[in-house]
Amino acid sequence: MKAEDLNTGEKSTWCPGCTDFGILTSVKQAITNLVNDEKVKRENIVGVSGVGCFDKIYDYLNINFFHTLHGRSLPTMFGIKLGNPELKIIGFGGDGSTYAEGMAHVVHSCRYNEDTTFLVFDNQMFSLTTGQATPVSEKGLVTPSTPLGVHEKPVNPLALTMTCGASFISRGFALDIPNLTKLIEAAVMHKGFSFVEILQPCISYHNTTQFIREHIYKLENHNTGNYEDAMKKALEWDYCQNENSKIPTGIFYETNKPIYEDQWPHMKKWHTVKRNPDFRKILSEFKK
Amino acid sequence: MEKHILIGGEAGKGIAKTTLLISEVFTNAGYYVFNYREYQSLIKGGFNFNVLKISDNPVYSHDNSYDVIFALNQDLIDRHENDLKEGGFILGDKNLKGKNLIGIDVQAHLEKLGASAKLGNDILIGALAKIIGLPVEPVVKVVKGAFKKKIDLLEESIIEGYNCVEKKMELDNPDGKPKYFITGNEAISMGAITSGIDMYVAYPITPATPVLHELASKQVEHDFIVVQPENEIAVACSALGASYAGANTMIGTSGAGFALMTEALSLQGMSEVPLVVYLSQRTGPASGVPTYNSQGDLKFAVNVGHGEFVRVVVAPGDAKECFYRTIEAFHLASKYRVLVMILGDKHVGESNYSFDDFEEPKIKPSRYITEPCEDYKSYLITENGVSPRSVPGQGAVVRATSYEHNEYGYTTEKADEVIKMNDKRLKKLDDLKEEIMDLVPVYLHGQGKKLIVGWGSTKGAIVDALKDLPDFRFLQVSYISPFPAEEVKREIENSDEVILIENNATGLLGDIIAEQTGKIINKKVLKYDGRPFTSEEIVERVNKVVK
Repeated sequence: MKAEDLNTGEKSTWCPGCTDFGILTSVKQAITNLVNDEKVKRENIVGVSGVGCFDKIYDYLNINFFHTLHGRSLPTMFGIKLGNPELKIIGFGGDGSTYAEGMAHVVHSCRYNEDTTFLVFDNQMFSLTTGQATPVSEKGLVTPSTPLGVHEKPVNPLALTMTCGASFISRGFALDIPNLTKLIEAAVMHKGFSFVEILQPCISYHNTTQFIREHIYKLENHNTGNYEDAMKKALEWDYCQNENSKIPTGIFYETNKPIYEDQWPHMKKWHTVKRNPDFRKILSEFKK
Repeated sequence: MEKHILIGGEAGKGIAKTTLLISEVFTNAGYYVFNYREYQSLIKGGFNFNVLKISDNPVYSHDNSYDVIFALNQDLIDRHENDLKEGGFILGDKNLKGKNLIGIDVQAHLEKLGASAKLGNDILIGALAKIIGLPVEPVVKVVKGAFKKKIDLLEESIIEGYNCVEKKMELDNPDGKPKYFITGNEAISMGAITSGIDMYVAYPITPATPVLHELASKQVEHDFIVVQPENEIAVACSALGASYAGANTMIGTSGAGFALMTEALSLQGMSEVPLVVYLSQRTGPASGVPTYNSQGDLKFAVNVGHGEFVRVVVAPGDAKECFYRTIEAFHLASKYRVLVMILGDKHVGESNYSFDDFEEPKIKPSRYITEPCEDYKSYLITENGVSPRSVPGQGAVVRATSYEHNEYGYTTEKADEVIKMNDKRLKKLDDLKEEIMDLVPVYLHGQGKKLIVGWGSTKGAIVDALKDLPDFRFLQVSYISPFPAEEVKREIENSDEVILIENNATGLLGDIIAEQTGKIINKKVLKYDGRPFTSEEIVERVNKVVK
């Protein structure tokens, strides 16, 4: 198949020039490569998105898709995986929905380590609602809802997911399509909860393109199996715009851990189970 | 014949277990037994009790006066001594104080046998059996059968207790056929398994937790899974995810957890992913009186979630109905791709009911999943509004969405498409209403010209009260949404007098009846102290209202 086969024909409502188009291109290419390499069956891929600018990817990808509520991509992904463990789940979130509305789910999805992949479009801004601060916005940022400037330091999603036990932790850049594509492929192929943060400057409300381009670098000679090294790299950038900021990208950490759905010896794709419950037998079990 | 036994004391002293063992002796012998449980929100200490009503005729409720008070501490006696019937006895340790106390020197009997203190309750169980008129053998059999391991001196302790007191009462012989003795929560679990459940998702909350425990204990044997995620928001969202993937899914909670689920229940309305919810009400608002009863969430359930969509609410009145209504809930949810709520409460969920038998359910489980056709549309507009259900992995692209959408599931904001999809979703009501008419949405108990109207767990006390209210019949409303308006209206119009009975402070069903039928019921018997009605109370209060 070709990446274009994943087009839906739906008209895009992202801003012209939005960096989300870069992510869409990478996702389509990654899926195409995975399907063509027979690593994943196309009919088994399920996308999950919540609500925010990023969520519109639902309309632009011709795959199975559950468009859930704001901040609820993670529990929806979790449920789909348990409903049919053969499905390959690629979930999408924004920094607002993920780290504000849905933060509790981040902690637990990392901890569960179910075999799903989660891509966060991180533009450090609630953009669809016309530009308010999120938990990853830099300290001091003035927005219509924070005219005195954001008071808190931003959360560091990589350090957070490291701490909570995710087994694949990475960062990509929306405007580096080739590397982002590779990253997504690796994340989907990793067995366990794969976290991919995608720096995605918002050209309308938080245009950090120039800053990111000047401070970004690719992780090289980095031991992805070493937790302490990975944590150091995760903490290298504090999500504020400092002159001496260094923003590493690539895979920070990757490890093999038991996955959530394996706890049930009888786990299966449930909809194929033929059931003919023996009512008398069930009743006898409840009889006192 | 009726016998009433109060069993109580501090939490953690084996009160629930003792009650179940005594009940089992009676139900094995063919008696009908109803057991009401009252407990506080704590683990050890405090004050717990159970009330047993035992009869050779069917019973569905408890009363507040007792033939025997089985006291494991002084507190129980101090609170309930005045509830002892004439000719009744208090049974307990000799150190307790109370009128008509049959005080047993438990310590001395244990020492005589060389038995451990743990067997103290068994000495008292033996004594109770003798006092009330039971033979000792079935008691020994039941108590021994309750433990997997052999317990030394267990049998001897029961017999010791039996022999140390005099027989005080006579029991009529029942028909001899053993009864099923089951709680509403057990029946809901049984209904879920009989419906072919694939996945139960819940976060612990009284009084719905017993279903979580029951189903978790049976998941491996019956080939399904039970999941406890981080909060009720995750419960509802993950359940929709699992159902979208094809699993036959149910969630369970009580008011506070249900409140957190509401956004996802609205998502059910838009996405049309089948979902069964068990809502077991307790006393609210907020944390309320968490281990006590209420029917306070009726309108919350009927209106749950933002936006307009089909919500089905069915309220079982006893444990048997819990079983059949759960099966109906799974069936309707899958067939119509709608949200179905089983609206129970602490009383129906945690009380034990006894029945002669359960009939084989007519409804057979189905996920209503079809092989996808070419050019599959997840939201195909059909004559009855129900789109054929497919699931991911079958070949078609399957979409579910929280946004308004066209037939393929793509997002739309076009006016005509918004109307079409609203109409499609609401169209499902036509067939749904028709099918519900076959599921006995309302039931008339008794023949009287005057009418009592009620729903859910008040059924037991009302039905038991009818024999003392010969002028009355009882209209039990089971399907609250869609509402059987014609049937309810007709009964109200055909009655000389109408009284609404509800276990809440404002008469919520009365509001719904007014909204749906235009009929306003002014005479109300309401109770909102966290405790369910007894039949005695119903008789007294109904007579007062009628005067």
